[in-house]
Amino acid sequence: MAPKRIFTYLYYNIGRWTLLLGLFLGSIIIVAPIAWTFSTSLRTPYESFGVPPKWLPTDFAYQNYVNIFNKTPFLRAFGNSVFVTTCTVIGQLTTAAMAGYAFARLKFPGSSVIFGLVLATLMMPFHATIVPVYMLISYIGLSDTLWSLVLPSIPTAFGTFLLRQYFLQIPVEYEEAAVLDGASQWYIFLRIYLPLARPGLFILAILSFNSTWNEFFRPLIFIRSNSLYTIPLSLNQLRGIQGTGSMSGVLAGVVLSMLPVIVIYSFGQRYLIEGINVGGVKG
Amino acid sequence: MTNSNLSRREFLALSATVGASALAACSAPTPAPAPASAPVLPTKADVTLRVQGDEKNEAPILPSFQSKFPHIKLEFVSVTGIDHEEVASKILTMIAAGETLDFGYSATEALQVYAGMGLSQPLDEWVKRDSTEMADFFSEVHPSLVQAMMYEGSLYELPFDFNAANMYINTKLFKDNGIEFPSADWTKDDFVSAARKISKPGDAGKQVYGFGWTNRLWGSWMPWIFANGGNLFEQEEAPGGEWLWGTYYKNDPMAKGRGGGYRWINPVANSPAVVEALQLVVDLYKEGVTPGMVLGGGSELQGLLGDNHLGMTPGGGFWAGGLGNAGFPKGSFDVQLWPKWKNQTHQFGTGGQWMVAASKHKDEVWEYSKHRISKDGMQTWFDTNGIVTTPARRPMLNATAFAKTGPEHWQVFYDTLDKHPETAPIPCPPISNPMTTLFTNYTGQAMDFKLTPQAAMDSLQKELVDLVARSKDVMYPKK
Amino acid sequence: MTDQVSKNSRSARKRQPVSLVSWFAQNTLKGMARRKALLGYIFVAPTILGVTVFVAGPVLFSIALSFYAWNVFQPAKNVGVENYIRMAADSRVLVGFFNSAKFAAIAIGLQIALGLGLALALRTKMTSWMRTYFRTAFFLPFLLSGVATGLVFSYMLNSDFGVVNYYLSLLGFAPIRFLNSSEAALNSVILAYMWQALGFSMIGMLGGLSNVSPDILDAATVDGATGWNWLWHIILPLLSPTIFFMAVVGVISALQIFDQPYAMTRGGPGDASRTMVMSLYEAAFKNMELGYAASISVILFIVIMAVTSVQFISGKKWVFYQ
Repeated sequence: MAPKRIFTYLYYNIGRWTLLLGLFLGSIIIVAPIAWTFSTSLRTPYESFGVPPKWLPTDFAYQNYVNIFNKTPFLRAFGNSVFVTTCTVIGQLTTAAMAGYAFARLKFPGSSVIFGLVLATLMMPFHATIVPVYMLISYIGLSDTLWSLVLPSIPTAFGTFLLRQYFLQIPVEYEEAAVLDGASQWYIFLRIYLPLARPGLFILAILSFNSTWNEFFRPLIFIRSNSLYTIPLSLNQLRGIQGTGSMSGVLAGVVLSMLPVIVIYSFGQRYLIEGINVGGVKG
Repeated sequence: MTNSNLSRREFLALSATVGASALAACSAPTPAPAPASAPVLPTKADVTLRVQGDEKNEAPILPSFQSKFPHIKLEFVSVTGIDHEEVASKILTMIAAGETLDFGYSATEALQVYAGMGLSQPLDEWVKRDSTEMADFFSEVHPSLVQAMMYEGSLYELPFDFNAANMYINTKLFKDNGIEFPSADWTKDDFVSAARKISKPGDAGKQVYGFGWTNRLWGSWMPWIFANGGNLFEQEEAPGGEWLWGTYYKNDPMAKGRGGGYRWINPVANSPAVVEALQLVVDLYKEGVTPGMVLGGGSELQGLLGDNHLGMTPGGGFWAGGLGNAGFPKGSFDVQLWPKWKNQTHQFGTGGQWMVAASKHKDEVWEYSKHRISKDGMQTWFDTNGIVTTPARRPMLNATAFAKTGPEHWQVFYDTLDKHPETAPIPCPPISNPMTTLFTNYTGQAMDFKLTPQAAMDSLQKELVDLVARSKDVMYPKK
Repeated sequence: MTDQVSKNSRSARKRQPVSLVSWFAQNTLKGMARRKALLGYIFVAPTILGVTVFVAGPVLFSIALSFYAWNVFQPAKNVGVENYIRMAADSRVLVGFFNSAKFAAIAIGLQIALGLGLALALRTKMTSWMRTYFRTAFFLPFLLSGVATGLVFSYMLNSDFGVVNYYLSLLGFAPIRFLNSSEAALNSVILAYMWQALGFSMIGMLGGLSNVSPDILDAATVDGATGWNWLWHIILPLLSPTIFFMAVVGVISALQIFDQPYAMTRGGPGDASRTMVMSLYEAAFKNMELGYAASISVILFIVIMAVTSVQFISGKKWVFYQ
């Protein structure tokens, strides 16, 4: 009896286990470059290129990290990045939720045309508009301020599109039920749609956080003063300062820039999961 | 991603201002009275100069400047970029948007770009006016550097530092392979045999290469073009310049026959000398003497050099401090002049300080500029920041300067100018940015064996001719 | 009788002036519709305003600029369609378009397939710890910036000393010239991009899956819908809004890729990995030819719009909203 039990157990689960094994191997390969970055960042610049690669950092050349704080105003840049990212994320979530909802569930004349136009702006590579935007920013007098990074980022066609899709996935029955109960439009939005679109909101928040935090090109053009540098800008200085920018020094910078995002993600992950689990529509 | 000496040079030049202050602060407890030779500025109203530079690196030379000119405030505008083209374009974008800048620092590549656009100010009248100070400066600076900073007869930048492409050598690999340190007149054949001796094939990670370089304008295979007597463009002398040479370099044989700057007008990219040079480096790569073309550039070659995987590579004075900072022990590397081929012409690039033509405080900018290249100013700057580029003033290259880092044959840096009058700057016409892109593009294709050196250079020539034709407005219009 | 009543109400209504507020506040279906419309306008106002000022305006400026030659310093010169004519003959720019197209096609297919596969795989029975681990592991690359990723991969894929070639040689393979052979360069860039995009795709699909009632999913299995049927007829339609979103956004972003190739190969060797935006960047910021750059961006814009329109039109057929 027992062997047969084991046999059936194995038979039904082998598919699952193979899958799990595959996933596991895949995850190792995916994480490998990050692990390599981390361990190489702790090697001395002098031998950062040696092979075989040391997966476990044995040199502990933490000097690379100390250098970052010495040579660049990292803490200041950190504060700047936090400010810009927080303002941008909050701004984006607010405006995109409202606009996304409007395009999804509120009928108003011209909505599809306007949505099309908004979507069209997604397709313009921002590298092309950067010079006119910079001239505009300068004209308003915001050049070389952190607001110059926040303001143009708040209106987000991407976020609007994303949330529109999430709102569209919520069945209309909810709204209809609420209307029959005499709910106002505001109530419907705030209490019914918004909570149900939580996964979308969390996703937008993470994406927005990530892209704003790691942004390099625009701050490079818009920000001039050292004291207003965001993290990617201040890390870029590493390349020119450390002798001729040793590989391990640069990688230390990469690790540092990643850490805050990872921390935020690991905390926010809980809400994301909640959102993903709770957001399910109960038939 | 290239940590070209150029970007470092700019970066460092920006920092230079700070250096002198420390020295001055030590020696003068009370604010020193303005020296007799300094001109009296027309007004003592508070003036703020927007200066391209990194405040941290310039900090040491500020106090002495402020004590001499308490009414001049400096506001530092740090313009960083991955390479110097980015810096140049950021500056241009900044000014296009109406932001002011008074003082700038740029490498040779941007000199004619700014001057050609009318963005930078000719410094002639100030140079003529402050003859004592300028005489002191020019007496220590090789005329090649000065001419590289001139355009169409006027001086546009004061040279602060330079870097010529010399050959950096891994001393351990030379010793292990029984190769003597090369003499100053070693030939290309000597070089090739040394490179071959050092190269050892092996599995990934175990190979040793004799010679490596990165794909860019300065110090890639350009030194070979020059050593073979060639160039990308025909190098011509611009007219004028007697006002400077006659006054400050009257008795200097090195200054004889120099004009008012350089002109690069006719591309000759597919001339035999250039094609031959390209063939040389392609063959070295085919043989396994040169590692694969890397883009990371400076940092990767540096890593290879340090790990004893690379024997030789082009480099300038910037690596003396640079390698030292990266942990290379003194004596692990050394430097020699570039090998002789058809002749021994070297290529260099200079970093210089320029005045923005639209500045409303030109006199004050001039004072700051002078301060930075003054004996004290420069010395303080280099003392604080290290010997991370080659100073323009000859006496500053001495045993003390290189004591901490090496290389042993540091005299090579200035010898490149002093002993070789034909040493010339890399070709930098006003179209140097697109020219560089084309150059690196075709270099890459040749090194990928997609095109033969002749075919690559023929295509490059054609595109350069098109480029020149398209850019008539900026190419020396005042001809 | 009814006629009289209605006639009275109609005239009664006509005689009373209707205030704006009460026009909205009417407790009728029409009133509700008006309220909805008003709310709609209010809600989209900030986004519209912002987008107009910071995107639409500059876009129009760029379109206008594409008919000029401008190097920032000298006044702009009107050159008509010369920029466009030059672009048609400029092999470097054309290669950029072609590379971007190839890139986008491959990247999107992989992104959606792998993202969906991962999301579905994560529904297998496993401990929540394992699920969290997998989710985090696959998402981690997305948290790096494009430039940092390009940099790390350029070190790892170095043909002589990179880690990847080191392990390949241990396994007996010849080293691959990832970044300095024109054949492999674009694929290496795709690899770096996919490494990052996978996490985004997975999260998006997970989010979409979360809106699908687990009852539906389980019910389908119980009813005997197996493997392919289940996927094709149940999952895909339910997920179609998310897939659609991924496709549209993915293509738009893939066509605009810049950071990774710029950091890894600068478009080399030759033009093998040059993307459209790189050509644009060089024209604008290296060569200071802003007019020409503007014309490149206009063409890019048209291409992206065309592709997206095609997606939207086809989307009407296969995207199913609840």
